[in-house]
Amino acid sequence: MKIVKINEDNCVYCHLCEVACITEHSKSKDIIKAFKFEEKPIARCTVEFNYPVSFSSMCRHCDDAPCVEACQTGAMHRDERGCVVVDPDKCVGCWMCIMSCPYGIIKRDERREVWGLSTKCDLCPDREIPACVEACPNNALTFEEV
Amino acid sequence: MKIVIIGNSVAAINAIEAIREKDKVSEIEVISDESYMAYSHPLLPNLVIGNISRSDKRFYYRSKDFYDKMNVKRVLGKKVVKIFSKNKYIALENNEKIEYDKLLITCGGTPFVPPMKGADLKEGVHTLTNIKAADKLKKDLPNIKKCVVIGGGLIGSKVAEKLAKYGIKVTLVELMKRVLFPVLDDTAADYVHKELKKDKVKLILEDSVVEIRGDKRPTEVVLSSGKTIDTDGVVVAVGVRPNLDFTKDSDIETNRGIVVDDYMQTNINNIYAAGDVAEAYDVIISAKRPVPVLPLAARQGRIAGLNIAESNIKYNGGFPMNSMSIGKVEFISMGIVDSEELEILKIEKDNEYRKFLIDNNRLVGMILVGNVERAGIFNWMIQNKFDVSWIKDTFLNSDFGWKYFDKAFRVLRLNRKIK
Repeated sequence: MKIVKINEDNCVYCHLCEVACITEHSKSKDIIKAFKFEEKPIARCTVEFNYPVSFSSMCRHCDDAPCVEACQTGAMHRDERGCVVVDPDKCVGCWMCIMSCPYGIIKRDERREVWGLSTKCDLCPDREIPACVEACPNNALTFEEV
Repeated sequence: MKIVIIGNSVAAINAIEAIREKDKVSEIEVISDESYMAYSHPLLPNLVIGNISRSDKRFYYRSKDFYDKMNVKRVLGKKVVKIFSKNKYIALENNEKIEYDKLLITCGGTPFVPPMKGADLKEGVHTLTNIKAADKLKKDLPNIKKCVVIGGGLIGSKVAEKLAKYGIKVTLVELMKRVLFPVLDDTAADYVHKELKKDKVKLILEDSVVEIRGDKRPTEVVLSSGKTIDTDGVVVAVGVRPNLDFTKDSDIETNRGIVVDDYMQTNINNIYAAGDVAEAYDVIISAKRPVPVLPLAARQGRIAGLNIAESNIKYNGGFPMNSMSIGKVEFISMGIVDSEELEILKIEKDNEYRKFLIDNNRLVGMILVGNVERAGIFNWMIQNKFDVSWIKDTFLNSDFGWKYFDKAFRVLRLNRKIK
């Protein structure tokens, strides 16, 4: 399947992938509303920086995903597209997926009233090309078969 | 082929999914002494105090239509009493026989109740390892104003926290010098102690209950130190042991659990075991032992299922790992958490604690309190015996990540070219 390929030599740590990801996962998908007027989503990708190294990383959608195995409620699962995604109505925020993710890319959203919410890349189900890839100005992220 | 699975929880469900990936035609029959769909055991303390209800889909491990979709026959509410491996059938409590071609045992653990006087009181003494026990405790809550929880392990600490939040005056009695003894070290356990105290849980460490006194229900408990505590309820949460009830008099090899090989098969051909009941390989101690944690039950169940369906997949071994929160403190720990001999790196700063235990440049254990988000990278290092000599200096950075890795390695790894 296609995932987001990381080409770190092209990254200029502009964080536009994070901006696009936040916008895409917001309620309105409007950049101003997403950042200023709605509950701002947590970016599913993370830009790491250690001069001169920089790159953005996100879920690798493992074939044998340890996060799916570790989930205590079945919230973490593989959808019809083959992507590893979280069902927010099932997630209880136990962070067993975080404990198991061999890439360390799952984040905690602790803003819900009762249950925490595991937050990770879903390869933008409403788009043909993930938002981060489209937003990257320098092909540091590309959408490719691996 | 007819495949029979004893048990209906994490290992069983993952085995079913694995079998059906390879084999759509074989008969699968699941036998369980519980009459429910597979559910989330870690949520039982939440169920007791009404944090979650039995109608919430979060409580269940798979959706309602799972068994039909997987074409699995369920025999529920029936106890297995014996396995006849020579003639390939099992006997149920009601003398019913069920024949099999391949058998998978995933019957989990049973709560261990240490010998103490009065533990057999009819009312007010509880355990908490299944729905039945949770329902019983829930029903008894109106009678409990004060409760003694025996054992400060994962279930004990969690249930102490939840009962205290519910408004019950809880005393937690733990034999060791800290709660969560094999899971946390002194420093990390202190965070949990503080959270429990915030909830007004009274902690009694390095002591144990020797007697539960009362006529019909408990009125007080007596500790080995001689102290007594007034109480109206007791929850025994000392731990679980592999459930070996019906394998005892069979020819299946057992030690502390059912001993399995690298393919999750027992010493008997065509009989497999997985999950909390199994004694499988632990990569850290390089020996077999039961490690009753959910992610390993899932993995073992999956591997058993694949091998039952004629694959030849090896279990690479596991090790203890736990993720938990008590109050506002979140922690993840893995492997060995305390040692006098190993190389130790640790830092405590701004309510964050990081500790790493290294043996000969291989990571063998770690604790993260607070900032847990990158924990899985360390899990991967332990599992793969990754050489950490060149990167361990960065483990204590709270922004630890792939940026500290060697570039050539990182590029291949992040694009899935290295496992």
